[in-house]
Amino acid sequence: MGATTLTATLVDNVRARRWRSFDLQLCLYMVLLIVLGLVMGYSVGYAEAGDAADLSQTVKTLIWATIGLIIFFTAASVDYHWLQTLTMPIYLFVLGLLALTLMIGTNLFGAQLSITVAGLDFQFSEVAKVLMVVVLATFLSGRREKVGKLSTLVGAAVLMAIPTALVFRQPDLGTALVFVAILIGMLFMSGASIGWMGIFTGATVAVAPLLVQTLENYQRQRLFCFLDPGADPQGACYQLIQSLNAVGSGGLFGQGLTAGRQNQLGFLPVQSTDFIFTVVAEELGFIGSILVLVIFGLLIWRILAIGWGARDALGMMMAVGLASMLLFQIMVNVGMVIGIMPVTGIPLPFITYGGSSLISLMFGMGILQSVRMHARKPTF
Amino acid sequence: MADLNEGRLDLPRSRARFVAFAVVAALIFSILGVRLFHLQVVRGEEYAAEAVRSRTVEVPIPAPRGLVYDRQGRALVVNVPSWTVKVRPADLPAGATGRVLRRVAELTGSEPRTLRQRLNAFQGSPFDLVPIERGISRQAALIIGEESASLPGVVVEVDPIRRYLDDQGAANGKLLSHILGYTGPVNLDEFRDLADDGYLRDDVIGRAGVEASFEEALRGTYGAELWVRDAGGRAVNSLETLQEPVPGKNLMLTLDARMQRVATDALRWGMKAVGVEQGVTVVMNPQTGEILAMVSLPAYDNNKFATGISAEDYQVYLDNPARPLRNHAIADIYPPGSTFKLVTGLAALEAGVTTAGRLWPTYACYQIPGAPDGQCLYDWNRQGFGPLNMVDAFAHSSDTFFYQMAIRLGIDAFGSWAEELGFGERSGIALPGEAAGIVASREWARSQGRENVFTGELAQAGIGQNVVAVTPVQLLNAYAAVANGGKLMRPMVVRGETDADGKLVERYKPEVIRRLDASAANLRTMRIGAREVITSGHAYNIRDLRLPGALSGKTGTAEFGTRSRRGTLPFHSWFVAYLPSNAGSTDADLAVVTFSYSAVVPGNVSLAVVKYFLQEWYDLKQDLRLDPRDFSLVTAN
Repeated sequence: MGATTLTATLVDNVRARRWRSFDLQLCLYMVLLIVLGLVMGYSVGYAEAGDAADLSQTVKTLIWATIGLIIFFTAASVDYHWLQTLTMPIYLFVLGLLALTLMIGTNLFGAQLSITVAGLDFQFSEVAKVLMVVVLATFLSGRREKVGKLSTLVGAAVLMAIPTALVFRQPDLGTALVFVAILIGMLFMSGASIGWMGIFTGATVAVAPLLVQTLENYQRQRLFCFLDPGADPQGACYQLIQSLNAVGSGGLFGQGLTAGRQNQLGFLPVQSTDFIFTVVAEELGFIGSILVLVIFGLLIWRILAIGWGARDALGMMMAVGLASMLLFQIMVNVGMVIGIMPVTGIPLPFITYGGSSLISLMFGMGILQSVRMHARKPTF
Repeated sequence: MADLNEGRLDLPRSRARFVAFAVVAALIFSILGVRLFHLQVVRGEEYAAEAVRSRTVEVPIPAPRGLVYDRQGRALVVNVPSWTVKVRPADLPAGATGRVLRRVAELTGSEPRTLRQRLNAFQGSPFDLVPIERGISRQAALIIGEESASLPGVVVEVDPIRRYLDDQGAANGKLLSHILGYTGPVNLDEFRDLADDGYLRDDVIGRAGVEASFEEALRGTYGAELWVRDAGGRAVNSLETLQEPVPGKNLMLTLDARMQRVATDALRWGMKAVGVEQGVTVVMNPQTGEILAMVSLPAYDNNKFATGISAEDYQVYLDNPARPLRNHAIADIYPPGSTFKLVTGLAALEAGVTTAGRLWPTYACYQIPGAPDGQCLYDWNRQGFGPLNMVDAFAHSSDTFFYQMAIRLGIDAFGSWAEELGFGERSGIALPGEAAGIVASREWARSQGRENVFTGELAQAGIGQNVVAVTPVQLLNAYAAVANGGKLMRPMVVRGETDADGKLVERYKPEVIRRLDASAANLRTMRIGAREVITSGHAYNIRDLRLPGALSGKTGTAEFGTRSRRGTLPFHSWFVAYLPSNAGSTDADLAVVTFSYSAVVPGNVSLAVVKYFLQEWYDLKQDLRLDPRDFSLVTAN
């Protein structure tokens, strides 16, 4: 009894000291983005259900966000070095889940993207992205002085290649690209040889056309729409054209929440998922979309700051891994919506509806808080 | 720049690479921001306009199709609302098609196979609504509405369909089917040509009868409405009416539905009496060319077409050797037999081959000039008649008299007089599918690889056999021209068009195709001959009818085909006649032709049919019809 009280007091003290360095900015940006996602999701649901707005998706997102917050705080309160210890099981867990998804995945738009457990869709590729940041961070931080060697590059590439191949087979081109982006970002930040990276990047670019050939026809067509949307206005490029019309219609100030005509009339197919930024742009206008981009920019800035201030390379690598992932997803998703990036199925972090994406990201943010709270300055 | 951390050598933390990362991030955000500025602020209005354009759609407003009335103002074609099941292929998942169509078929009492055929035959945009079953019951429509959640892509709409009526105002597609015709869905090939005229992919178009020949007037002009549409192509709400639809014109037919009924009953009776499968009766006003009744049997039921005829029903029509879908009165040609002697006779008088009074020998068998001895053409009367003049030869229908006339006329004069009277050319009646017919000529001979027709062929053509084939309407029109004093009239079926308010907007006047290049005296001679047919010829007891005016006419039979075991050939029989309907008038105002296709019973059933028609139409309180067993009494020529 007495021992327990003592332990609890000690823990409280330790925590209290650490929680003082809890990054409020990071938390604020995260919450702002989640709320924005909720609001935009409501607007989309409003369109789909007519006057009686469909709340079920909003409610689901709230539930997911609540679960996410618990995970966020749990991750924040645990020393992130535990993850280093668990890296091997985590990696095997990721491979196992991705293989499982490939085998029994639910058919959604022709691709096996998720599996359904107790009525809830789990997109394990979303969880895998964050977990792979952890795996790579452990690997790269462990390389220490050998980090500049070719073996580091090859090792990291091989580690990443297996899950990438598994998601590519689903086929989920978007997540595969995110894996590659995480790899490149983390390698670069780890101090890997720029020369070798250049060679590898060149080789990847060289084989890219071959990979494109293995894609399904619909994916290929969608991929190249952004180069010439008029090529197939009724078919593959229909989404893109309607999206551009919607973004343009937003103007400076937007048409107002739940008042976007393109959105409300259903011209943005699957708008609640990948094209959610279109709704932001249409309903909130240029001001609103720039504001959202600014929040994203500040978030990435905070993450980089946390990485810079991390106590060790593990924390730093985790931060830059998550930053790479977010930056790439924002670039491709928003770029796609505004017609400067190919149409791939990459969600907009925090805003695109999806429980697995949301809790994965919040888990990642929790790790960052842990990195922050175990940073150099407060410790010394 | 290594960092010592709890005694462990850690990764170098490169400030340069952090800066590089931040710069890349800033660059990416800048590009996104600039692009957004370009899209939303610089070109915002452009995109907004394009969005509005792609969100609105011009929805056509169909115009009500024009109605059809008979000359007494009886409605013959009306529009009735009808429930139509339609499918939008884009909303019907491929995997569910079978189940959905099976359920719809079950509810509407149709075949899933038929529905699938209609759906597959459509081949339009997947956003187009495809009508798969028309005229379903209200009950079925309600159930489909209730089950809409489990029947994706299926909608029920109220579309007007055509209902064809008879003289009593009852739905009866068989009375006037060949005149009124029917409408049917446009197919994809037609649609490509018609889309510019405002036709819709699920539109109907006139397929036969006046529905086809007056398509443009009946259809009206479709209006247009601007609608906001959703991404699925569905119209959501109306913004404004761009153009009001103009209802189709109503047609006023020249036909009298009650006369059509009487003529149909008479023809049906006669055909049944002698076991004939095909027959025609046409009644016209010889002064104007107005068709008063036009019966072609067997008829088809055009109400079956109004809701979309089933493949089975259609096949039954196609398989019937009597071809019910064809209007035999204008679309088919037959040898006219002795009725054609009018043409030969008038031509002989006009060409100076003979005069009204000149007597010609007649023979049991007429030796063909220039042919070897013994090659002769028989008269139907194997005894011969002795010397005859034109009127008596026509009245008694002497074959050998007219062989001589034809041969002396020669092929050119004969052919040109046949053409003068309207044979070998379409009459121009406003009904689709008219045939031109065949008249013996040098041209025809050349098409057979000869310089000229054989003399025997010419002689036979002179009595309406061999190289002569006419439509019943052509024959009637030729007799009408002689009856009215020499005007070949254009047969007409529509007198005028009215607008939706009943105001006459178009009047069709009787049209003279040509004035015959024949003298009044010669026309009169032929009319006397036609009168003599009734009074002293062999038209049996038709002279006993107490008709309001003097009846004139001509019988005809034409043998064809192969001999039966008793040595008789099947033959067509004709009777064509005209009379004034008012006592004291000499201007015939009613001309009638009846044709029956192929009988083996001796006798002229067409004569009996006309007799029945006249006694019923003029309400003579007489019944001089023959007992069908007595048909052998009628002289067969």
